[in-house]
Amino acid sequence: MKGNGKAATSNRRSLLFLARFVALLLGFYFVVASNPVNDAVIVPFTAGVARICAVILSAIGENVSVASTEIRSGDFAVNIENGCNGVEAALLFGSAILAFPAPWRRRALGLVAGLAAIQALNLVRVVSLFWIGAHRPALFSSSHTVLWQSAVVLFSVLLFLFWASREQRTRAAETVGEHGPSPGR
Amino acid sequence: MGRRRVAEETAGTRLKLDGRAAALMAAGFAAGLAFWFAFSGPYEKTVASTAGFLIRIFERPAVTSLSAPGGEIRVDRSDFPPASPRPGLPAADLHFNFVMLAALFAFVPHPLEPRRFGRFWLAAAGLWGIHVLALVFQVESVYATRLGAWSEAHYGSFARNFWTAGFHFYQIAGRFAAPFVLWWMMVKPDLPFRMSDFGRRI
Repeated sequence: MKGNGKAATSNRRSLLFLARFVALLLGFYFVVASNPVNDAVIVPFTAGVARICAVILSAIGENVSVASTEIRSGDFAVNIENGCNGVEAALLFGSAILAFPAPWRRRALGLVAGLAAIQALNLVRVVSLFWIGAHRPALFSSSHTVLWQSAVVLFSVLLFLFWASREQRTRAAETVGEHGPSPGR
Repeated sequence: MGRRRVAEETAGTRLKLDGRAAALMAAGFAAGLAFWFAFSGPYEKTVASTAGFLIRIFERPAVTSLSAPGGEIRVDRSDFPPASPRPGLPAADLHFNFVMLAALFAFVPHPLEPRRFGRFWLAAAGLWGIHVLALVFQVESVYATRLGAWSEAHYGSFARNFWTAGFHFYQIAGRFAAPFVLWWMMVKPDLPFRMSDFGRRI
């Protein structure tokens, strides 16, 4: 009976996490997709991603120019849109972190570190996709749609699992510290 | 049937996050990718025919038919002028997240154990349902916004926003979240991982 009760609690927590995750994801989506936020935050942010990628591409010998969210070379151009600017993975990661029960300070730390890591990987994605498009155009579509999108999202899921497990262990250690080790341990 | 398995059945699956799990995830990604490439064609046909059937249920008269000639979903209506071009929707964008689902399930210890493999296919069936629903939203959003005066005559402001926002949500967040949600529901990951699961103390 005790085991069943524990399992029921675990299932309830698991479902509660999912419900919060989906609700937050929907909420963040509507914020990000609204025109004022898109125009004032997302587009300038994406233009910033384009500029940083252009600097990296120039450093590796590509002759590129940037206009807003578009990176262009002699015979190839990419326009970075939603879904390619790392915001989609950030929404997923942010919703998961905020849905998971944890103190706000540790959530904030997880968010800052995780979002930075996701954006770093996303820069690698955009730079590599531009290079592939310019030099191996036959591979561009599958690399863009399947490989890189999946890789960035899987990376954000792994980051969340890593953070969540650390968080749980920290909490368990704090609980033991407060109450002392239980007898027989 | 060991005690460990009974415990996992009721309380969730204890995950590992080590080199072996990473290798399994990469293998799952590769296997999922190979399967996806091999069966995309027939898969798109089942998604297109089911979504077309659902759309026709609510259409008066029922005029829509969807086909998947390869790489795209073609939207046809019997009331379109015969010579007019038919909208084509990119199919891979709709269902490439199957590969993510395969990678996530491979990450679970002993992924090919029959019970776990069965759960993977159950999740894949759930993902198929999501693909059908997403395609219904996509086709309706095409009808609502891309057919000029016809769209304005047949879709009000609420309907336009409903179908377009629904599909846009799938594009921006839903298609990435769906494999994670299905995986979480089926696997019920048991957090935290053990210290040794990371291969080092943190």
